[in-house]
Amino acid sequence: MLLIKKIMEEKRITEKESLEIITEMISRTKDRYLGDGSILLMWGYLTVAVAVAVWILLDATHDDMWNWLWLLIPIVGSISTPVMVRRQQSRCGVKNYSDKVISKIWSVVGFSTVVPIMFCLAFQLIYNIDAWSMMLAYVLILVPFAEIAQGIILKEGILMSGGAIGLLIGIFTLCCIAGWVELGAHWYLPLFMAAFFAMMIIPGHMLNLRARQR
Amino acid sequence: MKELDPLLHSQLRLAVMSILMNVEEADFVYLRQKTDSTAGNLSVQLDKLSSAGYIAVDKGFIGKKTHTVCHVTELGRKAFEEYVDALRQYVHL
Repeated sequence: MLLIKKIMEEKRITEKESLEIITEMISRTKDRYLGDGSILLMWGYLTVAVAVAVWILLDATHDDMWNWLWLLIPIVGSISTPVMVRRQQSRCGVKNYSDKVISKIWSVVGFSTVVPIMFCLAFQLIYNIDAWSMMLAYVLILVPFAEIAQGIILKEGILMSGGAIGLLIGIFTLCCIAGWVELGAHWYLPLFMAAFFAMMIIPGHMLNLRARQR
Repeated sequence: MKELDPLLHSQLRLAVMSILMNVEEADFVYLRQKTDSTAGNLSVQLDKLSSAGYIAVDKGFIGKKTHTVCHVTELGRKAFEEYVDALRQYVHL
């Protein structure tokens, strides 16, 4: 390994040295930078904060127009996420195939929540029908799936278990909708917040703690 | 016996290519740290690999700092695979 430890120069090398360089460089790229949980925390706290605001305002005013506030989640999240991703990438300096796959998975999740948001708004504005419970169930199926997939790719148990809790809550909400169980804001909004606590806030803090320990 | 590609048969360029073959992209600082090279030397070798079309170099900014990101091209991938094939013949693997 003396060969690698020296400052590299442009010089002719033997075939054996070539093999040594290739092997050494491959082993040096094996260290996986997991990053911290800042992006998870941003989405988690943003979602919970908006859910609390909607809950309080709906309760106080009984005006469904406060549901417009849900739009803050995709707007604020989609603006801040690319900035945070770029910062995180510049800190670790490398992007491998699993990073690319995870990034694509979350992009698909992001884009596929825009359409149902539009439908919910159209139902609200045109027909005065409250379809937001569908949106909550949809998000609680899609986001946990993405998180479980991320956990599997990164071999992170906390992401898999957080995602599993979110998915359970999502399936429960979906069953309620299918069974015509009345979804009162007083219980589905806390459930929604609990799901995001389990999926984003707890894993985010644990990843941050681990990043600090590293 | 196949001839070893002279562009790859060099310590630092081979190290850079080996890293880039193993990741999607890597920035200048990461490459410098992993190869234990100097910024000046690395910069020169990256230029050579880029001129040969083996790697693509994207220069951008993060805040006020320049951020140079490299990734291997299809031509570079093919050249590296051929280099390893040729190397196998030389060392009788």
